[in-house]
Amino acid sequence: MSASFIGPRIKALREERKLSQDDLARLFGFKDRQTVSAIETGERRVTAEELVIAVEKLGASLDYFTDPFLLVGEGRFSWRQTNVGPQRLSAYERNAGRWIAAFRSIAPQVGREAPLLRRALGLHKGSRFEDAMEAGERFVAEFKLGDVPAARLAEVMERELGILVLHVNAFDGISGAACRLPELDVVLINRHEVVGRRHFDLAHELFHILTWDAMPPEHSEEARETGGNRVEQLANNFASAVLMPTPALDRFGDWSAIDAGKLASRLNAVAEELQVTASALKWRLVALDRLKPAVARTVPDAALRNNGRIADDAALPPPFSKPFMEVIGLAVDEGRVSARRAAALLDLTVDDLADLFATHGVQSPVEL
Amino acid sequence: MARHHGPVLIDTNAILECFRVGSWRALSSGYNVETVEDCVTETQTGFQRRRAELQIDAALLTASLKAVHPVDDAQRAVVAVRAPDIALDVGERSLWAHALTRSDAWVLCGPDKASMRFGVRLGLKDRLIALEALLTDAGHRPKEALKLAYTTKWLENVLGELFISEGLGRS
Repeated sequence: MSASFIGPRIKALREERKLSQDDLARLFGFKDRQTVSAIETGERRVTAEELVIAVEKLGASLDYFTDPFLLVGEGRFSWRQTNVGPQRLSAYERNAGRWIAAFRSIAPQVGREAPLLRRALGLHKGSRFEDAMEAGERFVAEFKLGDVPAARLAEVMERELGILVLHVNAFDGISGAACRLPELDVVLINRHEVVGRRHFDLAHELFHILTWDAMPPEHSEEARETGGNRVEQLANNFASAVLMPTPALDRFGDWSAIDAGKLASRLNAVAEELQVTASALKWRLVALDRLKPAVARTVPDAALRNNGRIADDAALPPPFSKPFMEVIGLAVDEGRVSARRAAALLDLTVDDLADLFATHGVQSPVEL
Repeated sequence: MARHHGPVLIDTNAILECFRVGSWRALSSGYNVETVEDCVTETQTGFQRRRAELQIDAALLTASLKAVHPVDDAQRAVVAVRAPDIALDVGERSLWAHALTRSDAWVLCGPDKASMRFGVRLGLKDRLIALEALLTDAGHRPKEALKLAYTTKWLENVLGELFISEGLGRS
């Protein structure tokens, strides 16, 4: 990343402080506002002395202007959460922003640029739920997600669509988020969620990424598999179809023929196989008219909780992701990011950082 | 190699490694070793970013150093504008910020590749020195082997790679 981010950050802070370019020119001691304009557009480099003036006069830290691992006035997030207050969410967003900003800054330096072009679904707010489901089915077919789409979805998002997918440690209540930067799309998933919910969140956020311009999502939305506003319902229908496409469901026979007493256990077993929640499966079958709503309502939620398992003993996915760690690894190995700085970014010790590379099958560059 | 008689600027990584192999006394008594306040902080438990932390008494460490320098924003800003794309940790950045204020014959022992890239970019390749070289020149051989990044050969190899990577090897 070049120094070009310093100028735009000065501009962002000037605007936040409601100062004109003339005002800033006076603060810096420039003859006219043209120099300020040149700095803000990155045409002219800031000197160290000017940077110190900016720190003193604009009341921000040096890191605000110079840390490439910060999102400043960039990046729009859409969170899936349950009962998380705005302050906690905002604090977590700042932290997550550092991982995203670091990747955005480093990836091009190590030859891992984001794709030049973005994919988009041809859906809009007026689209029908059936349209969203059809789009989900076609997505599975086009990207050859196979019989268990959940198993390969993250990989396809990363490799085919260039979306950064990060499994993160987030506190209870945060399910995940989609984040859009001018040059990068990111999906964050709370790695502590049960596997079926993680996959649903992933497919749901994929919808937001693929429809962001036509249907910008809310900054924060409640995490649920049904209901919500129109965009959320479209996203849920798309996600259900991606994870449970009709060809995959056809393998499991006629649901109407299943005895009511065995329905819950059958839902749980099939959900386990498809790596989804049994609850999401139930409503997907209703949407496809393979299960009558009245029958679905007879299955108590408690019987489907955790897909009928007493404890969720499934292994958690390792933090972050292999593509993310590959980029960090290359940056450390090439001397673009120091090992201590990388460890601090991920809130790890240098030794834990080395272990995390190994966990992802990435050769550790840490030699300290 | 002739023993260096000027100031030796040392970063957190090198201090920790020197303590780990039991060679701090040999280093600090053999040279005028200096560092910055941020690096001293990073040698303390809770700030080392190492899984097995060493117990290093800050007062004793400071007493064994020739100087511990404070670093201000004006000095850090110089590092930021000279190489905005190289992401250094706090102590590494402060050590370079301090080094750039000096005009004497200092050498710097900071074995992270990013820190070394900064030195190479600024034309200060010859100021970088390996911990192994310092100890050897002082007539000390650590009881425990130094990790690879603190050896003379590793430093030479990496400096060569970085020199080319920075486009400085072209005629």
